[in-house]
Amino acid sequence: MVRTLLVVGLTLVCTDATAQQQKPAVNAVAQEMVDFHKRIDAYMKVRDEATKHLPDVKETGDPAKISGREMALGQAIAKSRATAKPGDVFGAEMSMYLKQALAEDWKSRSPADRKALFEELPQGIKLSVNQVYPTTLPLVSVPAKLLARLPTLPETLEYRLIDRYFLLRDRDANLIVDVLSNVYPTRDR
Amino acid sequence: MRASHVIVCTTLSIGALAYVAGSPESPLAARASGMQQPAGTPAPVQATPPGEKDSTRFAIIGDTGTGTSSQYQIGERMTVARQTFPFEFVIMLGDNIYGSERPQDFVTKFEKPYKALLDAKVPFYAALGNHDDPTQRYYKPFNMNGERFYTFTKGNARFFALDSNYMDQPQLKWLDEQLSRAAERWKVAYFHHPLYSSGEKHGSEVDLRTQVEPLFIKYGVDVVFAGHEHFYERIKPQNGIYYFIEGGSAKLRKGDIRKGPLTAAGFDTDFTFILAELGKDAMQFQVLSRNGKPIDSGSLPLAEEPKKAADNKPSSR
Repeated sequence: MVRTLLVVGLTLVCTDATAQQQKPAVNAVAQEMVDFHKRIDAYMKVRDEATKHLPDVKETGDPAKISGREMALGQAIAKSRATAKPGDVFGAEMSMYLKQALAEDWKSRSPADRKALFEELPQGIKLSVNQVYPTTLPLVSVPAKLLARLPTLPETLEYRLIDRYFLLRDRDANLIVDVLSNVYPTRDR
Repeated sequence: MRASHVIVCTTLSIGALAYVAGSPESPLAARASGMQQPAGTPAPVQATPPGEKDSTRFAIIGDTGTGTSSQYQIGERMTVARQTFPFEFVIMLGDNIYGSERPQDFVTKFEKPYKALLDAKVPFYAALGNHDDPTQRYYKPFNMNGERFYTFTKGNARFFALDSNYMDQPQLKWLDEQLSRAAERWKVAYFHHPLYSSGEKHGSEVDLRTQVEPLFIKYGVDVVFAGHEHFYERIKPQNGIYYFIEGGSAKLRKGDIRKGPLTAAGFDTDFTFILAELGKDAMQFQVLSRNGKPIDSGSLPLAEEPKKAADNKPSSR
């Protein structure tokens, strides 16, 4: 009886050790998600620091106060991360993950659905980090099924699609925080 | 099990490209489907007075923020309609301010067109459209409490204003929680992108539908209003839910409705708005053009009470 238990116990230990040798120490995607959220947290810290002297957002009947705060917020954030460049927040690994998610989402759509999405997306746009999202352009809705696949963001941040870009946008500052380019095929394909 | 819907069209005066058809189960289907009429110039009529004492009355407008004469004409017509149909508030289905959103745009594209109503203290409750900067949620006259999505109660009804531009997981979780708690007799959801549409330009938002419609069905949402398509359309009930599109309150895409199996009634030749009354057992509605021409109207019965949240299994509706 004791021998049987020892054999079973040794077998379990050996099996576990073998499994650990075969599997990577951590799930690479999960680790990248963790790292991505750390970069998001870092952005939020910079944002909070840059905007702490600005008045809180409150409901007002004066649209000038709303647009004034939006502009001030955007300028303060852009100034505090003046050297930011594409990929700083998304990161290399997460950029690959996002592009893959976008490509899979694109493939899953019907030709009519793709056409409809293309028709919604403005063309001929040049965007960069720390740029204000063009105020004359509509904010194209992000497909809900795609959103369901993406990491959740703090309420002040959102993903957006425009032309062939995938953006990270600061909602209250109307500021482009990060850019991923060429996420969709060109339109003549 | 939800009761079957019978659409009773009480007023029909339809333009050249408008048509009305009953739902398949409606005894009026055959009669109504033959109601295409040539364009005429009917005299403006008064809105139908309220039918019940303690009902919830409101107006619905969508895709409004152009600042053009058509928006002002709809605003004036709403003011006239309110004299006979004293609606308490207005819901806005998005694209509240088109183009630039400078302070003066809020004046010319919202405050002036609806000045008489605002002066009469009629509150507006806005949802965000794809042409709206989300910071509109801080604009007090839109009554969004600083939120992209929010809920409020009026009389016997709970309203859910959603941000269909960005239906992320936090919003879906919020919607699930709020709907599960709602005990009001009526549950009304409104947002910009239509889950069902016969529009050629956009059509149904199938992607969005896969995310929100299961919650609507699960918790017994009764009526859904959307905009985005620049016309009026009443959809045949889908999964026991009444769907309306009103995106023609200042923008118009003439001839865009492609008559198909979804359409119960459609109108794409002039600007419109909706008046609605949520009563004890039914919702009365009336659609008027900017000239006061009646476009569509009817009575939609309230479904049986949905199962309570604690008993939420996939609905058979």
